[in-house]
Parts: sequence; structure tokens; C-alpha cells
Amino acid sequence: MADISLQTYTVVITGAPYSSQAPQTALDFARAAVAAGHQIDRVFLYGDGVHIASALICTPSDEPHWPRLWSEFLAEHQIPAVACVASALRRGLIDSGEQQRYELSAHNIRAPFEIAGLGEWVEAGTCSKIIYFHSGA
Amino acid sequence: MTTLIVIDQAPYGSWSGREGLDMAFSLAAFDQSCALLFNGAGVNWLRTGQQPDGLGQKSVAQNLGAAAIFGVEALYADAQACQRYGLADDAIIAGVTLIAPDQAFMTGFEKVTFAG
Repeated sequence: MADISLQTYTVVITGAPYSSQAPQTALDFARAAVAAGHQIDRVFLYGDGVHIASALICTPSDEPHWPRLWSEFLAEHQIPAVACVASALRRGLIDSGEQQRYELSAHNIRAPFEIAGLGEWVEAGTCSKIIYFHSGA
Repeated sequence: MTTLIVIDQAPYGSWSGREGLDMAFSLAAFDQSCALLFNGAGVNWLRTGQQPDGLGQKSVAQNLGAAAIFGVEALYADAQACQRYGLADDAIIAGVTLIAPDQAFMTGFEKVTFAG
């Protein structure tokens, strides 16, 4: 295999699990990148991609559980993962802080995902290569 | 160092364009140079006289009016796509530069990002 200089990547996912292939393809990419010695400095969920951070997704037992698989990968490699706050709130992805702010009945963000602003994405653009995984629609 | 955000989906039927616009506004808010390109069905964002009240949505053309204030450097539209969607020059909102999104144009940008 050709020698590829090691890179730092930010992974952006805009496609939802179970309606697009984006989260699965992104996870395959992230696993391969880490295995090859590259760094993933953060994962950013945007648009429909925020659904990966839901703690309430239940799949039939014989189907892959993409939110859990993503969580396990992130925890194992200690990669921070952020869901865009504007995208998340519109789609009912809520952390305890937003639950209090909007006086909601529950919160549902799966650890280790966090909610933050687009500034995280802007910052990523200044220091790493960003790779996008879209729904393909 | 300019980032080009590309909107290629028609407005109102999909939220991806609005989220692309948010990306552009965020870059600008953090003093990162950025511009917007509308191509394909995305050129319909630029049509004058949009009346989205019946949909309960805000006019995307009006949202775009804030682009210059936020510091988005330019609004570009694919001239051929405008023609295909029947957008004559006088049916396009002010401040849009018509271009051909060829290699020479695209290589002028350090990064190119699609909204979704």
C-alpha cells in the first residue's frame, strides 16, 4: 500500500440513519482512517445527521444499531462528537441543558454526543480536513 | 481562503438549503471568507416575488437579503441553470453574479461544501 501522510479529519454527517447510508459509510471511513493511523479530531452531526445522537432509537435485534455503534466507536477512541444545536432542537434531539431552557419533559442525547453550535464546524475547517457524508438525495 | 457553499436543491421542499445558508452565515460570523453558489434547482432561491406565506415558511429570498449584512462575500448563480428554470435577469433578486461553474471558477475557492 502506498505511503499516505497521516491526516487529521473532521467527519460531518448530514444524512439520518435508516433513511440514508451516510452514518454507516461515515463509520466505515472513520474506522478505516483510525486503523491506518490517521486522527479523527471530531465528528459533527448536521441536518438529519443529528438523529444518530438519539438515545431512543430502537432497531429490530437483527439490524445494526448505528447510534450505538457510533457511540461505542467514539468512546473507544475518545473522539468528541457534536450535534448542531439548531438542527438538533428542530428535530427533537435535546440535552439536559436544552430540556431546562425550553421546559421540556425529557432529554434524549446519547453519550458521548454533545450539542453545540456551528462554530465547532467553523473551527474544524481551520485545522483539519473535513469530509462530508450526505444522504445522497 | 474562501469557502464556497453550494445550494442545489429547490427551496421550501427541503430544509438542506436553509441549513446550507446557516453554514454560510456561521462562517461569516466567525470572520471566515465565504460565498454561496446556486445551481441546478437551487437557482429558484433567487426568484423575485416568492410568496411562501401559504406554506408557513419565511421567504428564502428574504433570508438571502441578510447575506451581505452577515458578511457573505458573493452570491453566484449558474447562468445555464437560470435559463433552464426560466429565470430571466429581471426575475433574479439583486446582488447575484451569473457565472459558469466550470473548473476555472471552482478552483478559485479553497473549499467547496454542499449543504446536504
